[in-house]
Amino acid sequence: MIGNFSFTRALPLLFTALLLPGWATAQSAAVAQIPLLDQPALHSAKAQRSVLLALTRAGERLVAVGERGIILLSDDSGASWRQAQVPASVSLTSVQFADAEQGWAVGHLGVVLHSADGGETWNKQLDGVQAAQLALQSAQQGDDAKLLKAAEWLVADGPDKPFLDLYFSDIRHGYIVGAYGLILRTSDGGASWQAWMHQVDNPEGLNLYAIRALGDQLFIAGERGLLLRSSDGGQSFQALESPYEGSFFGLLASRSGGLLAYGLRGNAWWSSDRGDSWRQLDTGVESALAAGLELNDGRLLLASQSGELLLSGDGGAHFDHRRTREGATVAAVAQAADGSLTSVGLGGLSARQDIQAVARP
Amino acid sequence: MKYEKPSSAMHSLIGRLEDFDRASGNRVERAIFNHRPWVILLCLLATLVLGWQAAGIGINASYEKTIPSKHPFVVNFLAERSELSGLGNALRIAVTAEQGDIFSADYLDTLARLNDEIYLLPGVDKPYMKSLWTPTTRWTAVTEDGLDGGTVIPGSYDGSAASLDEVRTNVARSGEIGQLVAANFKSSVIYVPLLEINPETGKALDAGEFSRRLEALRDKYQSEQVRIHITGFSKLIGDLIEGLLQVALFFVAAVAVTIAVLFWYTRCVRSTFAVVLCSLVGVLWQVGLLAAMGYELDPYSILVPFLVFAIGMSHGSQKMNGIMQDIGRGMLPWVAARLTFRRLFLAGLTALISDAVGFAVLMVIEIRVIQDLAITASIGVAVLILTNLVLLPVLLSYIGVSPKAAQRSLQAEQADSAGLARHPLWRLLDRFTTRRWAVAAVLLGLLLALVGKGIGSQLQIGDLDPGAPELRADSRYNRDVEFMNDNYAASSDIFVVMIRTPEDQCTRYATLSAVDQLAWRLEQLPGVESTNSMAALSKIATAGYNEGNFKWYELVPNDGALGAVQTRAPRELFNQGCSLLSLYVYLADHKAETLNRVVATSEAFIAEQQLPEVKFMLAAGSAGIEAATNIVVEKAMQEMLYWVYGAVILLCWVTFRSWRAVLAAILPLILTSILTEALMVGLGMGVKVATLPVIALGVGIGIDYALYVLSVILARMRAGDSLSEAYYRALLFTGKVVLLTGVTLAIAVATWAFSPIKFQADMGILLAFMFLMNMLGALILLPALAYFLLPQRAFGAKSEAPALPQPSGAS
Repeated sequence: MIGNFSFTRALPLLFTALLLPGWATAQSAAVAQIPLLDQPALHSAKAQRSVLLALTRAGERLVAVGERGIILLSDDSGASWRQAQVPASVSLTSVQFADAEQGWAVGHLGVVLHSADGGETWNKQLDGVQAAQLALQSAQQGDDAKLLKAAEWLVADGPDKPFLDLYFSDIRHGYIVGAYGLILRTSDGGASWQAWMHQVDNPEGLNLYAIRALGDQLFIAGERGLLLRSSDGGQSFQALESPYEGSFFGLLASRSGGLLAYGLRGNAWWSSDRGDSWRQLDTGVESALAAGLELNDGRLLLASQSGELLLSGDGGAHFDHRRTREGATVAAVAQAADGSLTSVGLGGLSARQDIQAVARP
Repeated sequence: MKYEKPSSAMHSLIGRLEDFDRASGNRVERAIFNHRPWVILLCLLATLVLGWQAAGIGINASYEKTIPSKHPFVVNFLAERSELSGLGNALRIAVTAEQGDIFSADYLDTLARLNDEIYLLPGVDKPYMKSLWTPTTRWTAVTEDGLDGGTVIPGSYDGSAASLDEVRTNVARSGEIGQLVAANFKSSVIYVPLLEINPETGKALDAGEFSRRLEALRDKYQSEQVRIHITGFSKLIGDLIEGLLQVALFFVAAVAVTIAVLFWYTRCVRSTFAVVLCSLVGVLWQVGLLAAMGYELDPYSILVPFLVFAIGMSHGSQKMNGIMQDIGRGMLPWVAARLTFRRLFLAGLTALISDAVGFAVLMVIEIRVIQDLAITASIGVAVLILTNLVLLPVLLSYIGVSPKAAQRSLQAEQADSAGLARHPLWRLLDRFTTRRWAVAAVLLGLLLALVGKGIGSQLQIGDLDPGAPELRADSRYNRDVEFMNDNYAASSDIFVVMIRTPEDQCTRYATLSAVDQLAWRLEQLPGVESTNSMAALSKIATAGYNEGNFKWYELVPNDGALGAVQTRAPRELFNQGCSLLSLYVYLADHKAETLNRVVATSEAFIAEQQLPEVKFMLAAGSAGIEAATNIVVEKAMQEMLYWVYGAVILLCWVTFRSWRAVLAAILPLILTSILTEALMVGLGMGVKVATLPVIALGVGIGIDYALYVLSVILARMRAGDSLSEAYYRALLFTGKVVLLTGVTLAIAVATWAFSPIKFQADMGILLAFMFLMNMLGALILLPALAYFLLPQRAFGAKSEAPALPQPSGAS
């Protein structure tokens, strides 16, 4: 391996730097102005070929989000797409609709966007500067010195940390998670947010990549095999014993009550007992799994970042290998209202893929 | 006719050699005609020496000579070029696998051998050459451990199926698809940046020679399995030089047409021979002088020798006609030559000096090839003063003309004086000196000017079509360009914005964010295919540094993280000291409107920029330089016309001393210029380095005609003739030669329309049009304008000393 840099590994170094007088102010001055936070996304003919990172359904509608604040909508299962009105121009990493109208999208620079009209228009509820202030206020009220230091660092460093996933159980209650253990929650549909780091058992501040509910429990998956569970309605999250030391990028809660955590190097782990024990699935792929989906017919679909599609009709015991159309990379997949498959990735949209006929490798 | 009488009396006086006063005429005339053997001898010597020199003339065009070196874009590019890798003149050689795809051992082996041979060609900027086989072609992948990378063809490559699979994987993650590798995996490109100076010879890289070597390689490697496509400036020049034989054949054909028509008209071998000989000697001297001065011809100035020949023919025919008519009147050749010299030398001299000055003003355009063309053309025209105004009369004074031809040449005049009807054509043209016809002609001219101006306002700057407009659309070069455009997203039309930052600060968030903003704005423009920059790399690298998770695809506002990307970035995105970034904008074509859009958007962005220590600079890359060239050409187009017309007006005024006469001479030329621009629109030609000088050359040709006709009209009117009479005399004397040469040269150059080199075909059509229009302007519009501008009363009473030598008929 040649280049090697990770925010996590640089963390102690940055903490040291924090102790040096003047560092914090200099940093905050440097990042004080980030125009992209308030720059409406450009409507672009190239939007469909831009980098798209997440995909969901708002009722019958498909909603894809990605770089430069691009949000694309399709009401015909992916045949045609149009661009929504978005007030910020940052990469959006995740999107979810609580119903056909109310939806949230999160992304880089700590941005949280809300739509009340099925994704047509969006407004900004939060950005990284505000999120850091919330974290600081929250830490100042508590007595955890380490948490306070981390919060001060968060403020000083500016909004360089992305939110990576979100989960809304209804139109009022939701969580957003992100880099360095960031987690905030709302109980008023995003009108106000509370920093929730102090309730999460994540002492190293590992990146949180996914949050999902299974029944009345909440699960979070993250960096270096981090798995967290809340059994008290999200009041607190406890670390689970992890079967894997590599990072998890996603969680899938199946209708049958199974829980799937997937991530690096084709790793996919299945738990039938709500996270107490895990069984590794033989996916047969080497690249990172980016998306998991339970299809309408109950089959399980996993997608790797390099465009491999894995289908299983037997709860992950065996996988049938396919590829996306033209081998497109995958960041997210969704099944459209007509049953066809849409995937998004670094090359943009690949809509209307026939799940039965997707290319065999 | 009353003025015929003194004329006949004079004939009898000087009919015999000993009766002619050898001391008459001005000093120049005496110097020449009293030492005729010396003149011939000197010319012979000059011909031998310059002919020997001419044999050594080189043909080449260097890239930097075709770009405007003083334009800020080019200044920026040249200042930064040592830190910009391979962004100047470059070739792209696509190697296509005819069967299967590029992931075969045979294909890669062929590619490797071709790659090695090209690497060794002198003039290749070796460190920046790029292909699948060069170590600079690397792949980068995001893995959970960070970024991984290596050469696309691994060191362990052995042609086995496994290593071919590895190459396939590496290509997919190299980011070179659409750049070095076609999206259909059936071809890959060898990118060959070229040096301006060939290090082996220390001289400018010889495009013709380089192109021949490439063709040899193409022949060697092209087979059933592999096809080779080559594009780039030096290949284009090479192909143009390759086509010069055909161009030359068309020159020869044009010369042959000219000789044939001239002979048909005169029916005199001797005089036809003399005129053609002197014109060719003029061309020979010109080429010889250029070679002696160290100039080279380039494909763009290759037309100039022919133009010199054409102008020589036009002046030579005037001299020859004058002498022939005088011999027909019974004079001895020697006397006839001397009198014709006396009558026409000044008009010819003025015309040639106008031409020379008109061409010389092209020097104001700061593009070397045009400046070279200005010198080339000026020297050629200046040489004609000696060969066609001096040598030709002297030559004819020895060899004379055929007596029959001499009689024929006076038929019209004699028929007229015998009271017979004038030739219907002359009668027709003469009508334009009458009120109704003059009004009609001037109105028609005005109408044409307005319509022409309307159409001409759509004249585009730069290339209008993808590919090289100098060559036919179905030429191999343009087919190769088409292949590249079809198979490679990142075309050869690259526009590069350079971004200067303080030392070691090129990866600051604010800077990269601004670069990214500009890139995204440019990507919205029609004609912009994609962009690449350090900002784009930083986004994907951020994902790489975070276990390869795509969700990290963003330019994160964290200078430390962004700085870490440097270690993985290819050199073309930033310089050694991290103080210069390059934003690559890949264009679909190099049409002027595409370039204008990119420049306008970039400049608007730069104007808004508020980063204090960061300087955005336009522009490098082939398209950046072309944009600069277009801007210079557009400005030069206007400037050039002001200068050319300024020079011509000044010289006309010096000759005629009458602003009315100047107007009558210039207005038809302006009409021709306007209509030529309209014709260029009609032909789909843009104004560019190659076509810019044509309009100036057109003015140069046109002024000859106007001067010859108008000088006779003025002289006759000053002698008391009516405009109609004066014009009729001018027609019989110089006008018919204007008609002759106009038609002859137009026919001759019109044959170029069939040239396989489209540049020559276009020039042929333009020049034919200008020869004809200038002729019609001088014979129709000029007398019509004279009706209004030169009324009889302006001359009537006066008997001032004439500014011009008198025609033979007047005393």
